Amino acid sequence: MPLYIDVPLRLLVWLLLAPLLPGVINKVKAWVAGRQGPPVLQLYYDLARLWRKGVVLSTLASPGFIIAPAVAWAAVVTAALMLPLGGAGTAFSFDGDVLLLVYLLALARFCTAWGAMETGSAFEGMGAAREVSFAVLAEIGIITAILTLVVQSGSIALSSMFEPLSGPGAALLAVGLFIILLAENCRVPFDDPNTHLELTMIHEVMVLDHSGPPLAMILHGASVKLLLFAVFLAQAVLPLSELPLMVSVAALTASVLLITVAVGLVESLTARLAFRRVPLLLTIGFLFCLFPLLLTWMGDL
Amino acid sequence: MTAALLGIFGLSLLLAMILGRTHARIWLGLSAVASLSGLYTALRTLITAETWIWRGGFALGGETPFLRLDGISALFLVLVSLVGGLGAVYAHEYWSGHHHPRSAPGGRCWWSALVLSMGLVLTCANGLHFLFAWEAFALSAYFLITLDHDRKEARKAGWLYLAASHAGTMALFAFFSALAARTGTWELGPVHAQTGLAPLFWLALFGFGVKAGMFPLHIWLPSAHAGAPSHVSAIMSAVAIKMGVYGIVRFSGWLPMPAGSGWVLLGIGCLSALLGIAFALAQNDIKRLLAYCSVENVGIILIGLGLSVLAVQHGQPIWGKAALAGTFLHVINHGLFKSLLFFGAGSVLHATGTRDMSRLGGLWKVMPWTATLFAVGAMAVSGLPPLNGFVGEWAIYQGLMRAVAQKGPAAGVLPAVIVLAGAGALALAAFAKAVGIVFLGAPRNKPAAQAVECGWFMRAPMVLLAMIMIAIGLLPGLFFRPVMGTVAVWAPQWAMTDPLLATRTLGGTHTLLICALLAGGFLIMRKAQSSGTRTGPTWDCGYATPTAHMQYTGGSFAGIARGWFAWLLRPEIMIRRVRGHFPGKALVLERVPETILEKAVMPGAAAVSFVADGARKMQHGRLHLYILYVFLGVTALGFMVLLGGM
Repeated sequence: MPLYIDVPLRLLVWLLLAPLLPGVINKVKAWVAGRQGPPVLQLYYDLARLWRKGVVLSTLASPGFIIAPAVAWAAVVTAALMLPLGGAGTAFSFDGDVLLLVYLLALARFCTAWGAMETGSAFEGMGAAREVSFAVLAEIGIITAILTLVVQSGSIALSSMFEPLSGPGAALLAVGLFIILLAENCRVPFDDPNTHLELTMIHEVMVLDHSGPPLAMILHGASVKLLLFAVFLAQAVLPLSELPLMVSVAALTASVLLITVAVGLVESLTARLAFRRVPLLLTIGFLFCLFPLLLTWMGDL
Repeated sequence: MTAALLGIFGLSLLLAMILGRTHARIWLGLSAVASLSGLYTALRTLITAETWIWRGGFALGGETPFLRLDGISALFLVLVSLVGGLGAVYAHEYWSGHHHPRSAPGGRCWWSALVLSMGLVLTCANGLHFLFAWEAFALSAYFLITLDHDRKEARKAGWLYLAASHAGTMALFAFFSALAARTGTWELGPVHAQTGLAPLFWLALFGFGVKAGMFPLHIWLPSAHAGAPSHVSAIMSAVAIKMGVYGIVRFSGWLPMPAGSGWVLLGIGCLSALLGIAFALAQNDIKRLLAYCSVENVGIILIGLGLSVLAVQHGQPIWGKAALAGTFLHVINHGLFKSLLFFGAGSVLHATGTRDMSRLGGLWKVMPWTATLFAVGAMAVSGLPPLNGFVGEWAIYQGLMRAVAQKGPAAGVLPAVIVLAGAGALALAAFAKAVGIVFLGAPRNKPAAQAVECGWFMRAPMVLLAMIMIAIGLLPGLFFRPVMGTVAVWAPQWAMTDPLLATRTLGGTHTLLICALLAGGFLIMRKAQSSGTRTGPTWDCGYATPTAHMQYTGGSFAGIARGWFAWLLRPEIMIRRVRGHFPGKALVLERVPETILEKAVMPGAAAVSFVADGARKMQHGRLHLYILYVFLGVTALGFMVLLGGM
């Protein structure tokens, strides 16, 4: 497929399907709690509503306050576009593109922290400080997971590096990446997306002062990021690229859905972690990624 | 051609030194001429890959002058010329004769001396003359650091710098004399065949490492770079420490490398990268933060260089070449963004009179240019795409990852990848803090609210640097080409290897990304305007009257990560709480000491002084006791002869 059809097509898939994930999570949570819960498409309604609204700006905010969410959104979407989708592979890929992906997520983080610092509020500064600090542990976890794939496949391009491990290595990596997914996407037990006004939160507190279209971009970007991590996790542990095209896409969809449900279940069944335990759990996530790395590395020696 | 241009470079700097004392404008013109000619020569040498050699027909100190400009010296000459010229423009406003009538003339003179002596360090290919140039470079830097010698802080920083610098020079004296003694000539060149020379590399590593500011020899660096005037900080941090890197690069290419040297370089690199940025994150002084960040970047450079040394030892050109190209590009990149950041910090200092981040804030409103340019520098130094910082680190990462993927004997570089990722994330935290605390939010005191934007002499160099940085991000292939000229000199045996760097695709992706970012930013601004914007005080969950003092400070921002490194940073926190019926002023003071200096070097030096003081008591001027010493000495000697005879 030529690039000019492939890329817009993928873009549509990512942009349109991503807001489904938070809806599924909320539905699972409602189901566990015995409630009916909001419709699965709730985030789409929210986004449409926010997009039509006006913007309330803090007197302290610079134009960067509005631009930063857009930059973060564009960075996350670009990162998502680079990921392969099961048997459909990547639209474009080059050696070392996996690093670009990691650093695009870092760019998004920088912009979110920037937006938080714009308002001059203690709350939002606190959120920004927590986000950039915990991201250090999350990032070394991600890099370790990527190294595992690099050692396993011998490739440093996203198009050919998803050659999953088998047996215990895959299981460990799945757990490690799942922990990092929860942390990077601000889910329980790291953060509670349902609360406001809590001293323990990270991501929500950074966007307290955003409103209207910029807030819509932040919410949509967050859902794309969640989908990105789910797709990455699924491909890192399941041999999807070896299946026929339609089967692998179906399997990818099913596994992403499964991961989403798992996030919902974790959210329903566990409480948020005590705040000072957060680095501890992240370190455990890192270790879960480190063991499969050592397994693959030592396996061939 | 090269000879003529280098002649112009040297002569105009010499003239600038002499005329600079009295004629500021002529000095500026001469500096510009020197800068342009140096830049042109260096780039031409890099692209044509020709080595220029000149041998004098006379003796200087018993040795014939021998100058050489090859790919490695040219790479560093690019930095010297560029920052030397831009810094002169910046200083014209920042340290003008109007504001600093006493020190400005000396500043101009020593600036030209510094640029000239660094040019000489790069071109001298005779060990003896190299040492002359090295000493001239160290001294002119000292006079620049102590330019503002009315301040005690500057005098102390200068003294520390001088002491550390000479500790390094001492090792270099030993290194060059040993080299000359073993090879029979002072002239420098490749000596791979003489494997007995390998241990000399450790001497060179120490001597040049002090200058490069690698951990734990960086003790002089934070105070010297923070205490100096900002244009001096810029050239010190962006260029002068690179002279140390130049020495390490140069002699790791020329000397037979001892076994394990690649691992040692890699280890020191990891240590510098991680701990340098941990120190940076904990600083409250913006210039100290930038100075520690230089320690981190030297660490990244050493990681790349160490990997390349390993690649030579294991005969692995592909990833070796990728890492080396990334390393050399990072040398240039760090020079660019670090001078931009120091210029920006200088602009803040100029406008507000303080370097303490906790007294600043909200500067974007009064200094939009400085804020934007500093933000570009901050994003580049955090290695964020699509800027230049990412391109260099990307190549180093690729070298490391290929080495790991090969599972060969060099796969043990694996921890370096994780360290690099951790250091990158910490750098992002440090610079999110610097930008957020200094430029965003509300001004924390009056000078910050009433600051004025710097003039065009200070602004133009920053704009130019930012433009080069963006260009490197968008056209990485174009900028990797001259860097390959350096790679070819360091490892000529790799000439036929393709490092497999997909620079074109990266450049294309970066271009698309920047289009997407601009389009996204533009659209959201239009959308926000069309859907109506209201302004009000920060909502922040409903605080009715937020004050500027309620904002997160630099110390609180860094609190979490500082806690992780508390074993090394040893932060000192003094709290005066609100107590009693008529409480005094509550107070929280934080300080992060230079732990290595204050907890290791100073006590060590104190112990040496103590022993030396004890020994001095033996010299008291009492003759009869001296006779006793002689008597005891002779008796002891007699016993030794007797016992030895048995």
